[in-house]
Amino acid sequence: METFLQVLVNGLMLGALFAIVSVGLTMIFGIVKVVNFAHGEFLMLGMYLVYLFTTKLGIHPLLTSVIVAPLLFVAGVATQRFIIQPLMSARDDHIQIFATVGLSTALINLALLIFGADIANTPPSGLRLPIVIGPVRVLLGQLVILAASILLVIGLQAFLKRTQTGRAIRAVAQNRAAAQLMGINVNRMYMLTFGIGAACVGLAASMVAPLYPTSPNIGTYFVLTAFVVVVLGGLGSLGGAFAGAMIIGLIDSFAGFYIGSDVREVVVFGVFLLILILKPAGLFSDRLNLSHVSP
Amino acid sequence: MTDTTLDTTMTSARQTTLPWKRLLLFSVVLLALLVVPIVIGDQFIAHIFVTIFIFAGLSTAWNIVGGFAGQLSLGHAIFYGIGAYAGIILMNVGITPWLGMFVGAGVAAVVAVAISYPCFRLRGPFFSLATIAFLEVFRVLALHFRELTGGATGLMIPLKIGWEWMVFRDRTPGLLIAFGMLLVTLAVAWWIRSHRLGFYLVATRERESAAQAAGVNTVKVRLIAVAASAALTAMIGTFHAMYLTFIDPSSVFSLTTSIQIAMFALIGGLGTIIGPLIGAIFLVPLSELARGWLGAQALGLHGFVYGAVLVLVVLFMPNGIVGLTSRYLGKSTNKRGVQAESVAATPRLPTKPVIGNDLLVAEHLDKHFGGLHVTRDVSLTLKEGEILGLIGPNGAGKTTVFNMLSGFLKPSSGTVQIRSVDGTMMTPVTPGDFAAVGVGRTFQIVQPFAAMTVEENIMVGAFHRHADVREAREVARETAFRMGLGPWLDAEAQGLTIGGLKRLEVARVMAMKPRILLLDEVMAGINQTDVRRAIDLMLSIRDTGVSIIAIEHVMQAVMSLSDRVVVLSSGQIIAEGKPQDVVRDRQVIEAYLGKDFVHAQA
Repeated sequence: METFLQVLVNGLMLGALFAIVSVGLTMIFGIVKVVNFAHGEFLMLGMYLVYLFTTKLGIHPLLTSVIVAPLLFVAGVATQRFIIQPLMSARDDHIQIFATVGLSTALINLALLIFGADIANTPPSGLRLPIVIGPVRVLLGQLVILAASILLVIGLQAFLKRTQTGRAIRAVAQNRAAAQLMGINVNRMYMLTFGIGAACVGLAASMVAPLYPTSPNIGTYFVLTAFVVVVLGGLGSLGGAFAGAMIIGLIDSFAGFYIGSDVREVVVFGVFLLILILKPAGLFSDRLNLSHVSP
Repeated sequence: MTDTTLDTTMTSARQTTLPWKRLLLFSVVLLALLVVPIVIGDQFIAHIFVTIFIFAGLSTAWNIVGGFAGQLSLGHAIFYGIGAYAGIILMNVGITPWLGMFVGAGVAAVVAVAISYPCFRLRGPFFSLATIAFLEVFRVLALHFRELTGGATGLMIPLKIGWEWMVFRDRTPGLLIAFGMLLVTLAVAWWIRSHRLGFYLVATRERESAAQAAGVNTVKVRLIAVAASAALTAMIGTFHAMYLTFIDPSSVFSLTTSIQIAMFALIGGLGTIIGPLIGAIFLVPLSELARGWLGAQALGLHGFVYGAVLVLVVLFMPNGIVGLTSRYLGKSTNKRGVQAESVAATPRLPTKPVIGNDLLVAEHLDKHFGGLHVTRDVSLTLKEGEILGLIGPNGAGKTTVFNMLSGFLKPSSGTVQIRSVDGTMMTPVTPGDFAAVGVGRTFQIVQPFAAMTVEENIMVGAFHRHADVREAREVARETAFRMGLGPWLDAEAQGLTIGGLKRLEVARVMAMKPRILLLDEVMAGINQTDVRRAIDLMLSIRDTGVSIIAIEHVMQAVMSLSDRVVVLSSGQIIAEGKPQDVVRDRQVIEAYLGKDFVHAQA
């Protein structure tokens, strides 16, 4: 029973981690309609920034988010402006896939050139401190991620539903041409969205870096799961992504413990493929969706 | 149709058949690729060329699926890995890789069909994501089944040297084998692209529904392409494993390899025959030289350059190097028509055919989307030799009825039966079934195969009756001239104006030689003279024994064409009869103009 509880809690904590990494991805997909294959590399970039700020300047990792998130916002805006926007009118989406895949390859190898293949550990910051609640143990950092992911989802929902800019963004997502006719600067909304999506990963980086060692390939490790989460939750749905992340976290944790840690990925990707093929709109109703996306 | 000017800025990067001169040049380049490393005799240079051949081959094989069929697979390393493992595992039990590679090819083809079949309904990035997921599953499984694959420690080939084992001390035999494999792959790619299969693949890529309407079994052709591509990839994988002498799951089932394979094709020229080879020639030496000369200090350099080049190519030359050269060498295939041409005036036969038996019988067609009833209890029949007009106000459900009559929508209830040539009534289901029994349709919103020329567009229709390329081309030309598209045979369809595209729709379906023709507003937006000509054309089509149902808003056409008119309003048939009677029908006037108008008249 105690093991079961521990595995359950581990799953939820893992879910929170997947959630905070996936939120930006699903937002970019839902609104800009681009699957950003370089999303994981934004995370990697953010984690290296956190690593630099903590080791060189001695700032606490959580505080670095104040700098890292805006920096990634700029990176996201630049990506949208200079890579995605010129391709928005491309006849087929192959071109956009190649563009973000190319960006991803370039960023991974750039990190390899600059930082080498060795892993980079952020200095101890207290976030790895275990906390014992009854029969289960969690890390302080994991609780921070859980809280942050919940706040982030709620905050973004509120932003999109309640503010004028948020409404404009949703309008663009639902009908680009009509939004343009209503005087919305569509390209600016796309840039803003991509920026926010990237900034979310920046925020995530400041919490992930203290728990996971940084390496050039760390993005690939996370992003494949993030794709699973996003598809499971219904593309473009923030609440769906959160729920999807929890489900995948639990599946991962239980499959790892009860089936074997070497095949848990098979289970996760098996679920992914089933969802993709049988229910491509995702598990959750379209009500949560930012737009009506049918893959 | 005077609005048929062409956008001449369009250039075409595509070539379906290699003219002799170009073929000769191509052979010389290929031969040089083989001779240069042999003459130089340097081990490292030979290694670079072997790697070029291997990646060019892999990329050419990928291009059959990714380029021709437009299915952007990022999981091709699966097939490469299957070939590699099959080769070494079988070699360990004493079976030569020359046989092993065919085993690998067979397994890969089966696996490819099994994983692609459910994935084909996924579009664009989702297909790519699914293939990545499958790749990950294969990698993890290869790690897991240690007894077979050696797990993370990998597999080493046994120490057997010589031609029968495909393993050599010297580099030259490897060069020859890799080159041979490249040639085979290029030949297969060329064969596919220049035969019916290739046209079908490109048509499916460009516009799946239009391809289905032209009788293409879009799933089958893509599965054939995937199987061929996977088999070739696996065979090259077997050889590469022998060449590398060592494999492990993470280097074989690698996403990076998958991306590279696709990247070479894109940079060279997606969907062209020589594009992938050119891409590999440009990029492979880069990575190999970086690895060979700069070693560890340049870790990541070539990858960075790859990625950056990929982004730049996508942004500034999406047609790849091949597209670039054809632009600058002025190989524009566009020819501007000297004068806007119209539909050719068609001589009519003096007698009109007798109206015969029921040919198409639709009974009680109901269709609802959720709570919305689009059609209610629509029953209609088309007789042999008849032109049936289908009219009704906007939103009446006319196109929905058409979709049910051609298999694009399944009726919620009700049946559609077609009399086949031998007189039995058939109940076709899919668009392919309908095409097979001789139903051809056009789309109200035109659906050209944008990247194909006008001629190729029509050929896709012609292939329905003529499997041979030359015959299909003949039929397509004939149809094109008949439809007044003669001057634009070699122009890309995306350069045509709307009038031209409407005619292209009709030409494509006419080339199928259908027995029943469903025309969806083919006269919308064309001028008076041309309406007259189009009417004559339709009558002449009818006179050749084709029965027609036409949705039309141009009343002049409806009145002079139709033997009978069915009026649809709010999904129900409200009137049916001779055109002169129908237009006087009180209900019909009401449906079009509203009750007030009827009252005002009275």
